[in-house]
Formats: sequence, C-alpha cells, structure tokens
Amino acid sequence: MSLISIQFAIFMLILLTVYYLVPGKHQWKVLLAASLCFYVFAKPVYIIFILTSIAVTWYLMRKPTRARLIWTIVINLGILIVFRYSVYFGIHDLLVPLGMSFYTFMTLGYALDCYDRKIEPCDNLFHYALFISYFPQITEGPIGTYQDMKDRLIAVHRFDRDNIIKGGYRVIQGLFKKLVIAGRLSYYVDTVYGNPKAYGGLTLIAATFFYAIELYADFSGYMDIACGISGMLGIKLKENFMRPYFSKNVPEYWRRWHISLNEWFSTHLFMPAVTSGWNKKISKVMYKIFPKAKKGTIRMIFPMIIVWITTGIWHGAEAVYVAWGVYFAVIMLLSVCTAAWVKSFSEKIHWKADRLYARIFQTVRTFVIVCLGEVLFRSETLSDAFHVYKGIFTDTRINAASVIGALTPFGNGNQAAASVIIIALLIGGLFVTELMAEHNEKAFMKHRCVYAGVLMVVTVLFGVAGQSSFMYQAF
Amino acid sequence: MKRIIITILISIFIITGAVASKNLYSCRIPIKNRGISDAIASGDLDLLFIGSSTFRSNVDMHLLDDAYEGRVYDISYGGNQCVATSIQYDEIKSRSDHDYGLMVFEMGPLMITEDVKLSDSRVIWDLSLKGKLDLYNEMRKAGNTDASVAYEYFITSGMDDLITYPVTERIYATRYYKGSKTDATQSPGAEVLDSEEFDISDAMPNEAQERAVRDIIEKCKRDGQAFVFLESPVYYRLGEDPVYKKYEERFIRLLKEEDAPYILASEADFDDHLAEYFEDMNHMSDAGRKAYTRELIRILKDRQN
Repeated sequence: MSLISIQFAIFMLILLTVYYLVPGKHQWKVLLAASLCFYVFAKPVYIIFILTSIAVTWYLMRKPTRARLIWTIVINLGILIVFRYSVYFGIHDLLVPLGMSFYTFMTLGYALDCYDRKIEPCDNLFHYALFISYFPQITEGPIGTYQDMKDRLIAVHRFDRDNIIKGGYRVIQGLFKKLVIAGRLSYYVDTVYGNPKAYGGLTLIAATFFYAIELYADFSGYMDIACGISGMLGIKLKENFMRPYFSKNVPEYWRRWHISLNEWFSTHLFMPAVTSGWNKKISKVMYKIFPKAKKGTIRMIFPMIIVWITTGIWHGAEAVYVAWGVYFAVIMLLSVCTAAWVKSFSEKIHWKADRLYARIFQTVRTFVIVCLGEVLFRSETLSDAFHVYKGIFTDTRINAASVIGALTPFGNGNQAAASVIIIALLIGGLFVTELMAEHNEKAFMKHRCVYAGVLMVVTVLFGVAGQSSFMYQAF
Repeated sequence: MKRIIITILISIFIITGAVASKNLYSCRIPIKNRGISDAIASGDLDLLFIGSSTFRSNVDMHLLDDAYEGRVYDISYGGNQCVATSIQYDEIKSRSDHDYGLMVFEMGPLMITEDVKLSDSRVIWDLSLKGKLDLYNEMRKAGNTDASVAYEYFITSGMDDLITYPVTERIYATRYYKGSKTDATQSPGAEVLDSEEFDISDAMPNEAQERAVRDIIEKCKRDGQAFVFLESPVYYRLGEDPVYKKYEERFIRLLKEEDAPYILASEADFDDHLAEYFEDMNHMSDAGRKAYTRELIRILKDRQN
C-alpha cells in the first residue's frame, strides 16, 4: 500500500478514528495492529522476515552479551545481504521485503545501544515490535532510535486539532514535492539518463541539475508525508532533511541530508572506528609520514573512507554506488584536510565568509559538487557516468541547436516551452519557500495557510498521476 | 479553523475554474496557426489535411498556399490515431458550416496497429467536451483507462499550455503555419538514419483503429464530403521493412473493401533513399518537405483534373 493512494487515505481515516476513540492505554496496540496490517498489504509474505527479525533481536538483546550481539548482527545482516545482494550472485527472483534496509539499521542500532548500555533493553516484545514496524517510517525511514521513539509510541495521545492541521500541512507539502516536482522532473531525467550518449553537454547538465532536485523532492517529499501522518497521530518523527541545498560546504550538506542515516553511521561506525585500536596504530604510522598534519585529522581519514564506502554499498553493490561513496569520501577528506589552509588563504585575500556574496558562492559551489557526485548515483553504469562527465566538461557549446536539444526530453516540441516555464516556476517556488523558511521560519509559518492553499491547487492541477512509488524504496 | 475552511474553499474554486476552463472552453481559446479552431476560422477550404505529426512535418503549407490560393489547412494533432482522426472529423463537421473541397486523411500503415490512447495531448485542446468524452470512451473501450489516466486526461493534460497561454501561444505561433511546421529541420545524415534502430516486429492490428477508418469513410460518404487517404513516403529502411509492408497492404485492402480513394507514397516521384530528405524514419526534413509537397500538389491536381 503506497502512501499516495486512495487505499492509504481510507486506511488513515479508519486508523485516526479508531486511534482517538479507544482508551489512551490501548492506543499503541492500535498502532501496532495498523503497522502490521500496512506491512501485510504490501505483500503478506514479507511479514515473516520482519517478525523474525523482531523476535530474534528482542529475545537475544534481553541479556546483551557479546555473543548475543554477534548473533543478532549476523542474523539481521545475513537476511539483509541475502535479499539485497543476492542479485549480484545471479539470484534474481528474491523480492526485497519492504523497508528491509531501514528496519535492519534500526534493529542493529537498538542491539548496539543495548550492548553499549546506552539504553535498557525493551522488556515488552510488542513495544519493541511497534518501534521496528511503525508504519510511517518503515518504507524509507527516518531511521529512528529506540531512546527517541519508545516513549512517544507508547504514550497516550489525546486528539489535538493542531496536530491534525500541522500534519495535514506536511502531507500536502510532501505530495507537492513528490507528485509535482519529482514527478515532472523524472520524465526528463529518465529520458536523458536512460541513454546519455544520445545527448549533448547542455542537456546532460540540465538532467543532472534536475536529478538533484528530483532526488531531494522525492525523498524529502516522502519524509514530509511520513512526518505529517505520524504528527496526526501525535507522534513526532525525527526530521531527515534540513534544506540541504542551502549548505555552505559538503560536510554541512551531509549533516542536513538523510540525517538519520548519517547519524547512524556516525554513531555506530565512524566513532567506533575513530577510537579503535587499529585506527590508532595506522594513525601513528601516518603521522610519521605527515608530521605537520593535525593528529585529529589523521585519525579521521580511514574511518571516513570506511563510512563512505559502506554508505555507497548500502545503496547497492553496483560499481556506481561504490564510486559514489569513494567520491564523497575524497570530497569530505579534502574538505577536512584543507580546512586550515583554506582559512588562512581566505584571510590573506580578505575573503569574508559571512558576507552575502561569500555565502552565495559557498552554497552554489556545494550544490555543484553534490550534483557532480549524483551523476554516479543516477547513472546505470560507470561507462554512462563517464560519458555524462565527458559531456558536461567538454561539450560546452551553447547555441540554438544545443538549446533545442536540451528541450527535446520535455516531450514533443509542442509542449516544450510551456513545460520549461512551469518547471522553472515550480523549482523557483520550491527554492524561494525553502529560502524563506531558512531565513525566518516563524514568519513563514504564520502564512502557512496561504502556502498550503497554493500547494493544493498546484498539486491537483500539475501533479503527475500514477506516481506512487518513491526512489528510496529501492534501497 | 475559519482560515483553513476559506483556504480550502478558495483552492477548490480555483481548481474547479481551471479544470472547467480546460474541458469546456479549451477548443474556443484562440490558437494561431494550429488546430481545429484556427482551421474553422480560415473559412472555406479547398484542401483540409487531418492527420498526425507526419502531416505536420511532411506538408509545406506555403507551397500549398501558392497552389490553392491560400485555401488550405493542416490539422496535425491526431497522435497517429485513426480513432482521433474520426473524432476530429465529427468535431469539424459539428462546429463548422464551411465547405471543405477535399479532406486528406493520413494513411500511415502503422496507425492501424496503434493502441487507442492519448498520444498527443494537444488533441485535448482541439476538442469540445463531447469530443473529449468520445475519445475517452474509445480509450476506455480499448481498456486503456484507469484512475490515473482519467486524472491526466481531464485534469492535468494541457494544463501547462492553459496557464502559460499568454506567453507560449506567441512562441508556438511562430513555429507553425496553418498547422504545418515552419522550422528548417535538417537531416541528421545517412550515417545516423542508416544506423537508427527501430523495431516494429511486435506490431499487431488494432480493431478499434481499423473500425475508425471505416467510420471516417462512412461519414464522408454520408455527408457527401470528398476525401482521400494519403500515404506519406518514409525513409526506405522503414518502407522496405516486411512488417511495414504487411500493414501497408492491409490498409490498402481495407480501403479497397470500403471503396475509398487513396494515394500511395510510391505515386510520388520522390527519392526515399535520399537521407537529406528525412529527419528520422518517417518525418521529413525541410528539403524533403518541400520536394514531397511539390509532388503532392502535382498528384492532387492531376486527380482533380
């Protein structure tokens, strides 16, 4: 059952009615039943895997010993690897259970936190089952932590009109991003990236720019819908995006994009790797080679490489995802290693980082770096990605033919001009509203009603029908 | 709460207004150089072409203007659909009192294999609500509709053009003349055309499209409307394809059965091996368009004499 469907709207109406009618102490049971129903609607057989993961992890982590932790990791990661990566070993008929990557990470996070004594193991199997299977976040996250979610999920939530209104607003915003922005751009991006060799540099630049917007609109659109419906139930989910395209450098971008996944990696992979014995030994050797480098910087190098390659592989084992991980590892390392040099150079040329021109430059630079990385993320093969890079950097002609060529993927020429105008207005509108929210969120929220009205009209009139699946569901 | 209700009501009002404008009045919005309304506004015509993008690319209206003293028009938004052509015929007849000396319908062999669908959303602008409903019903009968298709058909399709009309209409008007293309499209060259991949091996005859051809013939005969089906030349690689030839023969057989006049591509003295004449397999370049139109004028004049 997609979050964008009539069935889901009916499901939510029934759920909200029942949820607020039953006594508060039973509300979490209604949520658990609804979450399992939601999962069964996707494909009944999927329920076996999530229930197995829930039961095994809960049982083993009641007494979190090292051996039990290893078993939990082996079983959960084992199931994930079999389903996610079997295709690379020639097995093509295994369908990946809905949200498996996301709930596996939540499960592992819970197990590691229990083992590290950061949290008390959950004493109620059904409470734990609700934490893992909570339906708004099961498909694409956010990857919630047990300490954040346990009280919210179990607490009594009285009907609050404000929650319904705020949640409704987030849902409208999400639908707009998904159905209008992502839906419309996907046509152009799919056409160009489906056969990049057929297009010139300008078209490839446009498609890459559109893809960056599409990916953000699709993924953050889902998050808006998920946060909105959860908000209607009185349960606040973790925000996964904070207007990432206004970041001034790449590390900041990654603190504002897919926040929950990056925090998970930071907590459970990066920090343990930084403080590990093997990293200390390697750092000592590195420090002898680069005696002028800061110790802190050197200790981050290998953990960062590991985290980024793992992040790449989490998205898929194809070479493009690994290359994407390596690309961002290199960018992040450059950013960290050159920070001191850049600072002193900026001072020398009297570059004031807080001035408007500097902020615009930094934001645009970061966006361009991210877009170039996303070429790898979107391309089907490394050869395609190479062709896109080659086109972008070598085919820089801007003339009538290249402009007409760039319009072609909008569909047949009869609607190209109208499509360009509408898409420019939509992207402009999205960025302006995000910029307004970035600068003065309170003032922006005051006029939310008007904004929601405009979004409703635009979504109904310009939305692409039949768009029910989200890009990150594939991961 | 009051603000929310007001916002919702205003939103519904705007949405209803935009949807009603599109579905009820799009055919009355003045469009220059394209479509049924502009054709009707042109008055009595000696020649009226009704077809798809093939007609748009392959017929030069300036040359026809000279030959027929400006009494010509090309309606080219049927999206390769005989079904749409049939509905467009009804639309013209119901909305126009003008005389049309000869109606020229497109005879693309693969048109009788096309799925009944909305393949050129511009047709939505051309049709009145009745025409839109007729086309939608044909799509429904063919099993090509669901909720998302209905939504696209009646709500979003053509909405870009409606909202941007004051700006885009002026741009479009420069690209067409009496429904035909004006831009000097160049051929990509023999190397590209000879290596271009196309696969029509799974084309299957579509009963609905064949029925629409019979309907067009029947309606023309009933109305006393002179007509002819016209097959445009295609690049030799497509023209010599056995599947293409099979459906060409099938189309001819259908027209013979109904005793309908037709002009075959082979009747024109036109070199379909000359890559310079083609933009792709079945759309002509500017040079091809001009060369073919001269031949077409000769054939039509010969027939009329």
